[in-house]
Amino acid sequence: MDFSANGKSFPPYEFRVERGKIKEFADALGDRNPVYHDPESPAAKAAGGILAPPTLLRTFLYETRDAVEALKVEDWSYIVHGEQEFEYFAPIHAGDVLTAQDRIVSMTEKESRRAGKLQIAVIETTFHNQRGEKVQVARRTLIETGKRIAD
Amino acid sequence: MTKPLYFDALKVGDEAPKLVCGPLTRTDFVRYAGASHDFNPNHHDEVYAQKSGNKSVFGMGMLAGGYCARQLTDWLGDGVLRRLRIRFASRFWPDDVLTCTAKITGKTEQANGGLVECEFMSVNQAGEVIIRGDATAILPRS
Repeated sequence: MDFSANGKSFPPYEFRVERGKIKEFADALGDRNPVYHDPESPAAKAAGGILAPPTLLRTFLYETRDAVEALKVEDWSYIVHGEQEFEYFAPIHAGDVLTAQDRIVSMTEKESRRAGKLQIAVIETTFHNQRGEKVQVARRTLIETGKRIAD
Repeated sequence: MTKPLYFDALKVGDEAPKLVCGPLTRTDFVRYAGASHDFNPNHHDEVYAQKSGNKSVFGMGMLAGGYCARQLTDWLGDGVLRRLRIRFASRFWPDDVLTCTAKITGKTEQANGGLVECEFMSVNQAGEVIIRGDATAILPRS
């Protein structure tokens, strides 16, 4: 990894959280909670509309590869997605238009007996809605291992 | 679930109802690939996955993590999570059965309710840990 990428911010990108995507995502997790499916359900009415499931926004992080490419990984078969974290500040509803911005917030190294020298990068994405409210922060930890990890 | 659990009704050590997912199929992985835009071929292309040294395709960490999140919202309520951290411990494969468990590990009282801390886990049929994680939720007082 290229440690000079640490601290870099990348151009914001915008997307709409569509009701059909929420339904498709919930279905893929086998989640029949009406708050993701039926705007007329008591659950959705109590929530102010169809809600985004807790891990949905990870799917929009494939919209841009700017931050990931800035890490200058040589061989992706040595990369492990170690951890994914979300912080929730306000609800996200179907129809919201979110603006996301990626920043590389940390790059560190450590030794692992099992996987050799590890290089660890954390990409933080901050999401604001169409009213300018910060709704969520997602942090993905990518680990480049010194050798391939066998099962 | 419409109504969240109440802060004062929960105590440290309380456990969520177990959520069992599977036996998982390649179709489950492909459906999640389409829904999540995760098109890493190791998750849907058997030929590619085997050429890369895997016995078959394997599931996305975020699919297993998504099951854990589903368990938490089924248990604690809609829109109550304030933080969720998913750590990927091992891979999982077609025909695996994942069991999600979660328990309350801490409580912090606030004006009209409070924050609860949870730890959660997903294990396969052999008891091997696939996902470890922790979460914070805000719950109202009864």
